[in-house]
Amino acid sequence: MLKRLLYIAGILGLLIGLWGLYDRLVYGHMHANYGSYVVWGLWVALYMFFAGVATGSFMLATLDLLFDLPLFRGSGRMALWGALVTLPAGLAAIGLDLGHMSRIWKVYLQPHFGSVMAQLVWGYTIFLGIIIISLWLSFQPQRSRWLKPIMAVGLILAIFLSGGIGALLGVNQNRVSWHVSNLPTQFPVFNLTSGVALMLIAIGWFGPQHDPRRTQQLRVLSLAMIVLLLVKGYYLWSDVSQALYQNSSHGAAAINLVLFGPYGWAFWLLQLGIGMLLPLIILTMPIGKQGFAAGLMGLCILIGLAVARANIIFPALSLPELQGLGEAFHGPHLSFTYSPSLMEWAVTAGIVGAATIGFLVGTDRLPLFTRPTTEATGTAD
Amino acid sequence: MSRQPTIPLIPVSRRGFLGALVAGAGALAVASVASSAITEKPTDTIDMLTPEEALAAYEAEIARLRAARISGTPIDQLERMRTDLLRALTKPVTERRWVMVIDLRACVGCHGCTIACVAENKLPPGVVYRPVIEEEIGRYPNVSRRFIPRPCMQCDNPPCTGVCPVSATFTNEHGVVEVNYEQCIGCRACIAACPYGARTFDFGYTYTANTPSAAMMLGAEQAVSYEQTSTFEYSKVHARRDLHDSPVGNVRKCHFCMHRVLNGQLPACVTTCIGRATFFGDANDPESLVSELIARPNVMRLKEELGTEPRVYYLQ
Repeated sequence: MLKRLLYIAGILGLLIGLWGLYDRLVYGHMHANYGSYVVWGLWVALYMFFAGVATGSFMLATLDLLFDLPLFRGSGRMALWGALVTLPAGLAAIGLDLGHMSRIWKVYLQPHFGSVMAQLVWGYTIFLGIIIISLWLSFQPQRSRWLKPIMAVGLILAIFLSGGIGALLGVNQNRVSWHVSNLPTQFPVFNLTSGVALMLIAIGWFGPQHDPRRTQQLRVLSLAMIVLLLVKGYYLWSDVSQALYQNSSHGAAAINLVLFGPYGWAFWLLQLGIGMLLPLIILTMPIGKQGFAAGLMGLCILIGLAVARANIIFPALSLPELQGLGEAFHGPHLSFTYSPSLMEWAVTAGIVGAATIGFLVGTDRLPLFTRPTTEATGTAD
Repeated sequence: MSRQPTIPLIPVSRRGFLGALVAGAGALAVASVASSAITEKPTDTIDMLTPEEALAAYEAEIARLRAARISGTPIDQLERMRTDLLRALTKPVTERRWVMVIDLRACVGCHGCTIACVAENKLPPGVVYRPVIEEEIGRYPNVSRRFIPRPCMQCDNPPCTGVCPVSATFTNEHGVVEVNYEQCIGCRACIAACPYGARTFDFGYTYTANTPSAAMMLGAEQAVSYEQTSTFEYSKVHARRDLHDSPVGNVRKCHFCMHRVLNGQLPACVTTCIGRATFFGDANDPESLVSELIARPNVMRLKEELGTEPRVYYLQ
């Protein structure tokens, strides 16, 4: 029943997304609401979110396929499948955000490696290859000796790419709320949280019901999630308190926008309430370790993380670099206020729908929770 | 190869100024017709003055100014700056240092420079290179206003170039931060990095499209053709005809009108400034007007604490 509902939601999202994609491809960026001042909008936040889920899922996959933790044996493929589905979703979001998508080849053939963005493009490409190869190797009847080295490289890359998103923002010294040294160090934690949340959904909702390890896996994932949420809460507190301590600074203005701006409700209700506090409470209770509740909390955490990505991007860009700039010249897309357009939402629905369907098809068609019997004895070629 | 039409310098008197406006509009119309008649490719470039041509023009200008001085005719700042400019063009490129100076006390907030820039570069809706920021100072009854024109600062240490993943934006040999429209992928990282908000994205708007009255408008075809005709930014010919081709989908910015400067003409914003608040020239030339101005004690640059080393100076 749950799966059927998710399929329907995914297909609906995909259909809406097709209209959005048509609009985007025919009319370019004209019907988007980001502009020359708030330059990055919903799709960049979506990219950061999905890329975070992908790298976090890969980190989780290493528990099985690199570190051979007995408890997580058999969950590696599922985590890799999650990474394989979400990474292209993130790349599609950021690809559609480009002014000239067809020139993406220039980043490969004429890159400027001093740019964090160029490093990320190359990194994601290699990372996608690693996900595909490691997933393929994990499906081999005999365990390949190449799997562990590849997973090790992938883990390092996943951490690098996670920090890279923070660095992409952090190098902009003119954006005070981004230009803090610990921003790149926060993202690996955020992304690991995303990965654990996806695994809560995967194991809680789609995991093998009769596997005796499932309950224990959910228990450990829930505990890990509680710790991660507390660390995430600590980061949030340090960001907010430091910025507000000097109430006159640019950083304080950005935080004030997050907390009390037009979308303050999204912070309090979605990011903090549903995304952090509710899961913290439920996951500490016995019911939180049960399949459905654990999956639901995973979904809540993912929603909170998506809102958090938006709250990192939009407010920092909504503050004029020079006072009065927003009123100096008027024209389309010259505004410091931003709310996503219908076309942006439609494309977002399509990408989320496609990722959801891809994930569900994998759980239906692929043996994601089983591993070759030869592995049970630790045999390797 | 096409040649930039010569745009006359704006004289001092009001009558002269109005005359020049008419002449400017005429020149613009001629330019648009002429440029639409040629076959343009983005890689086409326009001619620049050779050092020999610049020297000849400089000597002629000096002779004219000398005659004017003898006859007692007042010499306008624009004339001096143009002479400075021609002198700079006789030097090797590496020995020039183009700077802009804006006198905030002289700016009257007419936005003439903004409009001149839009006309010169045929900027579409939503793209602006030189807005004038208005600032209100004090409380009633002690209130005053200040106008801050904000071109690209052409920083010597630009934060916008390093973030570009494909080196589409860079400091060119003239010291001007350039955008290569054919290279830019439109990621907008450079906009996020600019501390001055000096870059805008071309979303593909036109003034006439989807305008209900455009179909009935007299001269509608000419208006459309004007919007599609070429600009000469970075001394290259750029037509703007397709929603999916450059410069649509690119980041755009002020470039100190280098296509004019290299032809011995001052930037459009300088020539149209009625308050004579904007100055341009070679700061490496001790005899230039801008060299004198940036040595004054009331000179400042925006956000100097960031270490961007802007080439735009303000007198306050």
